[in-house]
Amino acid sequence: MTDTEETAMPASESDPPAMIRLEELTKVYPGSEEPAVDAVTMDIPEGEIVVLVGPSGCGKTTTLKMINRIVEPTSGRIRLEGEDVTNVDPDRLRRRIGYVIQQVGLFPHRTIAQNVGTVPKLLGWDKQAIEQRTDELLELVGMDPATYRSRFPKELSGGQRQRVGVARAMAADPPVMLMDEPFGAIDPITRDRLQNEFLRLQEDIEKTIVFVTHDIDEAIKMGDRIAIFGNDHRIQQYDTPEMLLSNPVNEFVDAFTGTGASLKRLNLTRVRDVALSDWPTAAADSPREELQRQLGEAEHSFLLLLDRGQRPLRWVSERDLARPDWTPRGGLKVRAVVEPHVTLHDALDEMLTSNVGVATVVDERGSYQGVVDIDTVMTAVNAMRAETRERVRVAPWHGVAASDVADASEARS
Amino acid sequence: MGAIEYAIDNWGRLLEFALQHMGFVLLSIIIATLIGVSLGVLTYQRPGAASLVIAVAATILTIPSFALFGLGIAFFGIGNTGPVIGLILYSQLPIVRNTITGLQEVDAAVVESARGMGMSRWQSLLRIELPLAWPVVLAGVRVATLIVTSIFAIAAYVGASGLGQEIDRGLSNLGAAWAFDTVLAATVAIVVVALVLDLLYTLIGKLTIPRGVRS
Repeated sequence: MTDTEETAMPASESDPPAMIRLEELTKVYPGSEEPAVDAVTMDIPEGEIVVLVGPSGCGKTTTLKMINRIVEPTSGRIRLEGEDVTNVDPDRLRRRIGYVIQQVGLFPHRTIAQNVGTVPKLLGWDKQAIEQRTDELLELVGMDPATYRSRFPKELSGGQRQRVGVARAMAADPPVMLMDEPFGAIDPITRDRLQNEFLRLQEDIEKTIVFVTHDIDEAIKMGDRIAIFGNDHRIQQYDTPEMLLSNPVNEFVDAFTGTGASLKRLNLTRVRDVALSDWPTAAADSPREELQRQLGEAEHSFLLLLDRGQRPLRWVSERDLARPDWTPRGGLKVRAVVEPHVTLHDALDEMLTSNVGVATVVDERGSYQGVVDIDTVMTAVNAMRAETRERVRVAPWHGVAASDVADASEARS
Repeated sequence: MGAIEYAIDNWGRLLEFALQHMGFVLLSIIIATLIGVSLGVLTYQRPGAASLVIAVAATILTIPSFALFGLGIAFFGIGNTGPVIGLILYSQLPIVRNTITGLQEVDAAVVESARGMGMSRWQSLLRIELPLAWPVVLAGVRVATLIVTSIFAIAAYVGASGLGQEIDRGLSNLGAAWAFDTVLAATVAIVVVALVLDLLYTLIGKLTIPRGVRS
């Protein structure tokens, strides 16, 4: 047993305590010789998002479903907050664990409010407490309670249903949430938005989240740590996204994280983590001569006009200002506006579509904060590279079971 | 038409028989629904058991009612008991089959999320699966009702109440001036009973099918 604990996760001292610990967890389905999950051992630290990722049939979903015992393990143990829950009453266990699945599975015959209030009702909360909690949660996932409370699931869009699914899973404030490809069936634009919203939400709620996806990009974006499952139904590498990308332990992980690793690393940094560049700005209602003077002094060919609330309005060039019919509504409309929580990857994407070649950063109220330009991105990439090199030197086998290290070094030599 | 005159002259008597008829049909259907839904609930997750129950129910429905009611005399004597049990048996095929189909058709993701949130097997069944399967179950009950409304008329020959008695009386006295009209009037009355019961199901459906699953 002590042996298992040592290899579970060679966590450094700064790592938070394990909320969930899986010990040699194995599932063999009846009539099958090959295990669907083969002796998975891992610690899931409190307050982090741990992503299980891998090709289909690798056992990632089965592992997730063993945590709330929707699938009963064949052998091995599950510990939740230190308590062995492998054999406790599964219904009681599940009320302590939020559960979100790809198809959402809202109850079609119940209103949105009743759906969200399911677990509190099972736990015997009184009616008023349930109503209050339901409204609070709908608000939290960005749905107006007065509008949606009494609607039925079929009256919502796919994205809205998934929001309700997340709200429902959080209803009784469980410390742990299991999410099985929660954004898998949603169109890419909505998915991106839901991912961002969820990450923002997680900053406040700090749940321990186990998240299954087959999409490595989603894993890198969402995960504080990522466990890559291989075709042998075992974990190949369990590590932070930076380490996975910069230091894959074997060829499988290398191939799975794929090419374009540098580009993917841009998903690891958010706009608020980097130093923004300055850009000359001016109040939109300044006289034309004043604007011309300011632009003349600046090193840039565009001036950014802000409204009275410091919100970016338009880009103006010398040519715009020189037009005889100049009005403050001249120039180019500001596109590519991003908030500080978006990833550098998304900021870069926006930047490429912008007419000026920079992404404009605003805070939640829309006031101008600075810009992200190509230099900002390059600086961040270089910093990340230096940082991971440092960490690789310090802990060459960080997060990898001893046997995997052996495999990896064989593969490399 | 003599039958219309007959019905006008004897409407009180016909109404009484019609109400009796409806009463025994409804009694049989209520008991049959309890049994049939229970059988469906017990078997819908086991394909073998489900096929067996459906096959037995289908076989029962092929037994001629004339014979079944006659055999019933040996156990229950003359009267309504044997026929009511017969009707319960005849109702099983549509009710059991629709219960099984309805429960099997409930979206697996909905059931998984119910169990995943900590509903017990029983809570999931009562609060989620059966309400969702209910429109299909109700359709089965409705078909069963139509079937037994007509079959119950045959039971008059073993002493059962209802409109069958009027038909029986008319058929035994064929040749008498009133006999044919009596049979015709009672037959039409059975059709009317069936239509009234059908309307009743439309109403029950409106009242019991949750808004979120109504099409």
